[in-house]
Amino acid sequence: MAKIIVVTSGKGGVGKTTSSAAIGTGLALQGHKTVVVDFDVGLRNLDLIMGCERRVVYDFVNVINKEASLNQALIKDKRTPGLFILPASQTRDKDALTMEGVQAVLNDLSKDFDYIICDSPAGIEQGAQMALYFADEAIVVTNPEVSSVRDSDRILGILQSKSMRAEQGKNVKEHLLLTRYNPHRVATAEMLSVADVEEILAVPLLGVIPESEAVLKASNQGSPVILDQESTAGQAYNDAVRRLLGEKVEHRFLEAQKKGFFKRLLGGK
Amino acid sequence: MAEQCFRMKGTTLTSIVLDILNFEPDEFDKQLTAKVASAPQFFTRSSLILQLNTAISATEFELLVALCKKHQLQPMAVKGQVGELRTTINDLGLSDISQSKSTDSALPAGDNDAPAPAAAPANNGVAKVIDRPVRSGQQVYAQGGDLIIVAPVSEGAEILADGNIHVYGTMRGRALAGVKGDTQARIFCQQMEAELLSIAGRFVMQDTIQTQCWKQSAQAYLEEDALVVSALV
Repeated sequence: MAKIIVVTSGKGGVGKTTSSAAIGTGLALQGHKTVVVDFDVGLRNLDLIMGCERRVVYDFVNVINKEASLNQALIKDKRTPGLFILPASQTRDKDALTMEGVQAVLNDLSKDFDYIICDSPAGIEQGAQMALYFADEAIVVTNPEVSSVRDSDRILGILQSKSMRAEQGKNVKEHLLLTRYNPHRVATAEMLSVADVEEILAVPLLGVIPESEAVLKASNQGSPVILDQESTAGQAYNDAVRRLLGEKVEHRFLEAQKKGFFKRLLGGK
Repeated sequence: MAEQCFRMKGTTLTSIVLDILNFEPDEFDKQLTAKVASAPQFFTRSSLILQLNTAISATEFELLVALCKKHQLQPMAVKGQVGELRTTINDLGLSDISQSKSTDSALPAGDNDAPAPAAAPANNGVAKVIDRPVRSGQQVYAQGGDLIIVAPVSEGAEILADGNIHVYGTMRGRALAGVKGDTQARIFCQQMEAELLSIAGRFVMQDTIQTQCWKQSAQAYLEEDALVVSALV
């Protein structure tokens, strides 16, 4: 039986798809057979971030409608062994996902995979609710900013009241992933600190991903940022994956680094 | 075709029933004066149903109606021992509803009974305990008793109880205690950062709370109809 993890946030543009791609890749790198499912029907992005957009033939909706088999629709990642992508349909909308259809596909995936990562669309409507309904665990992606925190709070409420586990009286395990964190701006009180966000949301912290130029570069190149282990963001995602697997890993990149004399002299970043 | 002039509809309304136990004009006038004086605004121009529990003559009935009108009360219908009064009732422009079905309830008794809505104490001894965070957009209601929350309450969340509310996490949302009108209800918070506090319909907003016990342990209660927020020592 696979573990189903939804990556969700409520708010858009906070890094759900980037995080889904990075964490999915990270789990596969650790030897767990993983599939990342794009639930953002109509706004397909995951395939771009994972660099497989030219290999999409059949999609999630085709499988639900039994127009294609799961094996036809699954795309095997070329870089990372044990990693697969189930892309969303670009030509349909969120109504194309039915509860029974999604359940059937997840049940089938469950037989073959260790982890199923559900990349949720933004919002709290049907598409987002469908992505989180079958989840065992949830990674709530939040930016250190008040509206993002408020929306994450809202989605956490929905998770604990409208998911299948909630309906059965069970808990969905929650993880907080703070992305686009900039310690310099926290130090100048322009940005909420990790402590502020943790205090408001009261959810265990899975990781803090520092704001990094490597993220945008990785997205545009179609290569999950976790593969760039030179970058702070890549290292932070790697730490987060290890924590997700139960390891105790110290949090990094929370403090502003003072620029050294030579760095300032040479104008390094 | 001409435009429609009227529509007929049914309605139910609550009105005062004046129970006539025995009619002695002078004493009736005296007692009615005292009653109306206790809550002038409530009784002014109220419509009234006369319930005749004693047989009275047509002359006495006319006097009764006149006395009511003198005190700004407006009799509209009569029920009870109507007997031979039917013609008089018709002549005075009132309705005879002695055949109609009705359900009566007593107004609160006592010498100074202000006509406040009857508020039954809400506690039936059952408290609802919540040990998970109450998130933005969620609503928790403890019907018929107290609400105890052993977790934070987020901004945009709403917690309601017929009785008292206790919050043992940071309280950032809206708390409404005594929602059925229990003015004795209180709200206790370990860390007060509420958006709104309300007891039995009286409320204060965050601006007010911020000037008092912000981020402290605090309680809210009603004191002479005003909501007071004070620190818990």
